[in-house]
Amino acid sequence: MRDDFSSEWGYRAKWAYLLTIVGALLAPVFYVIYISFNELGFGARVYKFTFDWYRVVLGDTMLVGSLKWTVYLALAVVATTVPMGLFSAKLYKRTRHKVLMVTLMLAPLFVPADIMGSALLVYFKHLNRTFETIGEAIGADWMTAWFELGFLTALIGQIIYTLPYAFVVILITMSRYRPQQTEAARACGATAWQAFCQVEFPQIRAGVFSAAAFVVILSFNEAPRTALLKGGFDTFSNVLVSQMLNVGMSGESYAMAGIMSIVAMTAVGAILIYTMIRTERLDRRARAAAEPVMST
Amino acid sequence: MLGEDGLQKWVFYIPVVFLCLFFVVPVALTSVWSVFERTTFWMEPGFTFFAYQNFFTSARAENYLFSMIHSAWAVLISFVLGFPIAVFVRRRVPRVAQHRVILLFILPFMISELVRVFAMRPVLGRYGIINNFLMQIGIINEPITVILFSPLGVIIGDVLSFLPFMVFAGFLSMEAVQNYIFEVCDDLGAGPVRTFRDVIVPLAAPGIFAGSVFIFVNGIGSALVPIILGGPGAVNAGLIVNQAIVALDFPLAMAISTIMIATLATLLLIGHRLFDLTKILEPIN
Repeated sequence: MRDDFSSEWGYRAKWAYLLTIVGALLAPVFYVIYISFNELGFGARVYKFTFDWYRVVLGDTMLVGSLKWTVYLALAVVATTVPMGLFSAKLYKRTRHKVLMVTLMLAPLFVPADIMGSALLVYFKHLNRTFETIGEAIGADWMTAWFELGFLTALIGQIIYTLPYAFVVILITMSRYRPQQTEAARACGATAWQAFCQVEFPQIRAGVFSAAAFVVILSFNEAPRTALLKGGFDTFSNVLVSQMLNVGMSGESYAMAGIMSIVAMTAVGAILIYTMIRTERLDRRARAAAEPVMST
Repeated sequence: MLGEDGLQKWVFYIPVVFLCLFFVVPVALTSVWSVFERTTFWMEPGFTFFAYQNFFTSARAENYLFSMIHSAWAVLISFVLGFPIAVFVRRRVPRVAQHRVILLFILPFMISELVRVFAMRPVLGRYGIINNFLMQIGIINEPITVILFSPLGVIIGDVLSFLPFMVFAGFLSMEAVQNYIFEVCDDLGAGPVRTFRDVIVPLAAPGIFAGSVFIFVNGIGSALVPIILGGPGAVNAGLIVNQAIVALDFPLAMAISTIMIATLATLLLIGHRLFDLTKILEPIN
């Protein structure tokens, strides 16, 4: 049988190509980070290393305020999306309508951000008017402004965006779990909650935490939907977009892009390292368990 | 199992209900709102095709068509660059390391699309890395200006934004292809081109199609890339929708969204009929 190992150079060339593509995808981001540390900014012939642009960003109360809103939103998104991802993955495992279910869960991936954002914007405005009309008719003031553009509407927009990712990541981890273990736990007298907490969750924990980390990153990076649905507050990426379009690319913009990249790379790097260490540890444990006991 | 007792089992349906309420209903209603009458700041119930007429009889329809052509190029380039990686990883990388290699493509994907697209400006610009490099080695005397603020800039931006999806979808569909199939091809003396064309592509077709639709639809519908990298002539559906909302022409925005969603639904339906897209999820099941 022919294989790449018979042509060592062919095999190396393919690896080189793969790494070149990864490098080409990442190189512009590293270049932006590199520029963000230059006191003289983009296009200067001299490179003078500085943290000043980052100091400017972190000293700007408006930008720090937008960073806070971004963090609040990310926390709210992760607190709602991850349990929903878990529920939907569990429902998918036992439903008979798998095609319908997976179509519904993954469909938001295929609807572009601006289309989804504008559809939701108009939907919320209609909902608001409908609620207001009903509220006025029955004399219930509390029914007004439920879907006024703001934190809640931005949160809903981001849940729709991040839920498919959380669903897929948790589903992949769950595919390795055997439901017979839950049945055994139930047969031994455990409640459904105990069986989940003590038997199933420890085995899918890595997937749930990975989903949480991905959701945080996706929320942190999201711009188009939030721009349409956020109402009166600003998120970090929205400020970056408006700065780029209105002011142009300043050293501050490069530093903001640098912050977003460094946060994302640190989070993904941490997940990858944790996953690899954990896999290695489990493999080692499995190998140790499989080794025959030697008599002494 | 979690929440299987009594009423608790309904907790599993929360995501489904949520998606029906805040995804299916608004997306379905776009077609209804698109035939509403436009008012000064909003719209009112009615039945008119004025928004569609406005779209099809203006430069917007032409822009939409051009953005489809640009997206098709982005799909083709992503396939040529990305799919061989999925095949290589599936066929030649040891099984235990395959997922780790694919994870390499997670990192660029997880960095904000905004930052990645933004980062292309100092690379493709008049005095960016590419032009400086080409001028330094003497290949060009004047900076190439066609790679930024042009349709070509948008295609480059789309490829860099969405290429990882072609690798993910291609790899996922290749996972369902057993190794012995490649061994049979090799044993029968099929060359690499014939194996690729007659065996690999048909077997991985669901993944290739899903990845292609994703890139195509986002290329038409994501406004970020033409806003940052496109020039005056590089407009797509997402950008037209944004412009319509800024102009408070909500029926027009909804009409374009409807056309966009109809395009997406038609493509997915054709793809499902031809390739059975559920096959992509076989490894998970």
